[in-house]
Amino acid sequence: MNLTQGTIMIQFTVNGKAYSVDVADDTPILWVLREHLNLTGTKFGCGVAQCGACTVLLGNEAIRSCSTPISEANGKQITTIENTSDKEVKALQKAWVAHDVAQCGYCQPGQIMNAAALLKKNPHPNETEIVDAMRGNICRCGTYNRIKSAIATVAKG
Amino acid sequence: MGLTRRDFLKHSSFVASAFLLSFGIPLKARAQMIDNGASEPMAFIQITKKNEITFFLPQAEMGQGAYTVLAMCIADELDAKWEDIFFEPAPVKEIFNIPGMPMMLTGGSNSVRARHLQMRQIGASIRAMLKSAAAKYWKISADLIQTKNATLTNTKTKESLPYGFFVDVIKVMKVPEKVTLKESSEHVLIGKPTKRHPKEAWAKVTGHAQFGIDVRLPHMKYAALIHPRVFGATLKSFDATAALKKPGILKVKQLANNKIAIIAEKWWQAKEAINDVVVEWNEGDFIKISTEDLAKEYESYLDKECLPMRKDGNIEEAFAHAHKVVKANFKFPFLAHAAMEPLNCTVHHQKDSAFMSMGGQFQTLYRNKCAEIYKLPPEKVQYYNNYLGSSFGRRGNPHADFVIDAIYAAQNEAWPVMTLWSREDDIKMGSYRPMYRNSAEMAIDKEGNILGFKAKVIGQSMIKGTLFESVMFKDGIDATHKEGLTDHHYKVASHDIQGFCPDSPIPLLWLRSVGHTQTGPLVEGIIDQAAVAADMDPIDFRIKNLQNPRFVELLKNVAKQSNWYKREKNSGYGVAVVESFGSIVAYVAKVKVENSDYKVEKIWAAVDCGLAINPLNVENQIISAVNFSIGITKYSEITIKNGEAEQNNFYDYTVSTIADAPEIHVEIINSGEKIGGMGEPGVPPLFPAVANALFDATGKRYTSYPIRLS
Repeated sequence: MNLTQGTIMIQFTVNGKAYSVDVADDTPILWVLREHLNLTGTKFGCGVAQCGACTVLLGNEAIRSCSTPISEANGKQITTIENTSDKEVKALQKAWVAHDVAQCGYCQPGQIMNAAALLKKNPHPNETEIVDAMRGNICRCGTYNRIKSAIATVAKG
Repeated sequence: MGLTRRDFLKHSSFVASAFLLSFGIPLKARAQMIDNGASEPMAFIQITKKNEITFFLPQAEMGQGAYTVLAMCIADELDAKWEDIFFEPAPVKEIFNIPGMPMMLTGGSNSVRARHLQMRQIGASIRAMLKSAAAKYWKISADLIQTKNATLTNTKTKESLPYGFFVDVIKVMKVPEKVTLKESSEHVLIGKPTKRHPKEAWAKVTGHAQFGIDVRLPHMKYAALIHPRVFGATLKSFDATAALKKPGILKVKQLANNKIAIIAEKWWQAKEAINDVVVEWNEGDFIKISTEDLAKEYESYLDKECLPMRKDGNIEEAFAHAHKVVKANFKFPFLAHAAMEPLNCTVHHQKDSAFMSMGGQFQTLYRNKCAEIYKLPPEKVQYYNNYLGSSFGRRGNPHADFVIDAIYAAQNEAWPVMTLWSREDDIKMGSYRPMYRNSAEMAIDKEGNILGFKAKVIGQSMIKGTLFESVMFKDGIDATHKEGLTDHHYKVASHDIQGFCPDSPIPLLWLRSVGHTQTGPLVEGIIDQAAVAADMDPIDFRIKNLQNPRFVELLKNVAKQSNWYKREKNSGYGVAVVESFGSIVAYVAKVKVENSDYKVEKIWAAVDCGLAINPLNVENQIISAVNFSIGITKYSEITIKNGEAEQNNFYDYTVSTIADAPEIHVEIINSGEKIGGMGEPGVPPLFPAVANALFDATGKRYTSYPIRLS
């Protein structure tokens, strides 16, 4: 590996798989996922943590990957929409299909990852808690009503 | 990628398992596979020997549900198995043009209304051909063959064969000239609430759905763009010395459309180098442009004689003898579409051909633009359309702005190039829904009849200078100034409706429901004022003065749903009904006003789109339109100062969030009239329904958008 100034080897896992990348340490996690690991399910929406389309889990926390440098992921676990085993993510994906949530679908990976973080902390949120947790995730198609019912279904268990 | 389509066809098992599962197959190979060279109906469908069925769908899927509804139309008549079908975007070819139009285009809520019959006929033709092939094979009459789940059954012997068994036979068979479509009682999909096709739905919730931004080609590079911040400014000079020293930067290049492309190994590297390019612009007088000055200019026309849009009856007498006259001035701001997926396009300029891929609404126009710039015959440009991360009209731009970026950036380069706008580029660069300054006056008699209607629409034309100008811009008037206004459905004895289109260098574009975004709130706002002046209930006044029974039925429906005549006294209730794109939508909105803020608590909707092919999708489109339009009603606004948009990103260009979403109840009336569109018609009545509800709650008329109470 060719280490140049400002770059360090950063090691982390994505969906259980180990990676080490050699990029500028301020590269946002979003662009490492999309452009280095070719995991394009995580979406670019605003670049300034204002829309939530890029939401992934770092550990169990929802983070806006467009504004979180990859250096913060060193030694940690990242979970993205492409994972196939996370309990909450799987349950939400199923509920999303059952409630016919996705229209254009572009923001939905971020919506689902944000909802997964909510359910990890609070497995049975009420409507107010769902709205409070999800208000930072923009959906321009306005699928909000369906998002609420999909999360509520999973929350009821 | 050395494989040709012929190679793929030779290995049909590979075709069946891999191509049809689509991801995993390189994009250029996929783009070749979708073009099977057949004529109608087989151009639209591929059936493999393994009985895997793929539909090639000619309309863009941007969230509105076009893929699912069109696939329902084919699958129902074909008797395919719904869950098992696959679909791909159709390539750009004449055979896929909209019936009666010289191009492929997704806009004006046209996908289902323009195509449902064609799609059904395609499915029915192929089913008829399969039956006739099986009849020959079994030596029985075709009437004795049943079809279900992509299988043919000989009702005499009970023997069954999959459609795929006859695929070679039907490929060389004569297409029947006339086919009988199923009766509605025979439909298993059409008319039934049907969720998004599971393949699309699952792709979208697992991150596997491919949008334009996800296009990956071997050796491709990424470009960030530097645009002029001042509208109308031109590039004077730039110095990229510092940028070129940064990691990953390959080239900094001036584009013929007045932009600079920074081409890098990764888009993030390109974006990070933007500030290292020193640029000088010729800003000239453009720097003086502001929405404040434009508004003053527009408002000055409200006092002048403008160009006629509709004049009939004796308007002078109507106003001279009116029992009462109501008046209002309306303000509508510039609006950015802020589609969720930032604008992007990928182009590969090859030796004697080109490849392009994005999510686009104007497939043919974009393909032709590339051919024109590269001086190639159009058929030498291959186009692959991906899912669109929403659009609202933004990816249907006759000026092809975000497409031309990539065409120029990739021109004469060895690698494919994706140009990707930042959100700031998207918010600051246009192309906006025009700003308008409108006025309306209505004269009524003692019995609540409408004697006269005067209105003015002042706004820059979004049509002038586009290929739509010859049909949509006549005698100085833009057709989108008039739609929904000069053809309103109320009984009115006289009209004087005028318009004017001042020019400016600000680029404009239609936004979901186009001219109805300003005429809907105008007509339904002034009608509401007239109802109050007539001392009548707003729904009763509308019913009395409406000529069309379809409108009346919808109004009665929302009145019943909302318990209108016994409505709660501590909330505001407002009504509106608008026809657009062939469908009629009525809303009752319930709003709660608290301090200086308001919340839309509930929307009752009644929809008449002729026949709802997919009632669930109709409901979804109403939910979408309501939430989208609440953002425009309450928050969204582009203002311009010193020649530049003052907004940058979602932190200052505000849209609706989940906290704004009201409870929404939708009822569908299948009137049996001509099938209308559904992507847009839910938008226009939302604005006046909320504004009228705010009047009910506060006693004040709100006609300046976005509506802020203080």
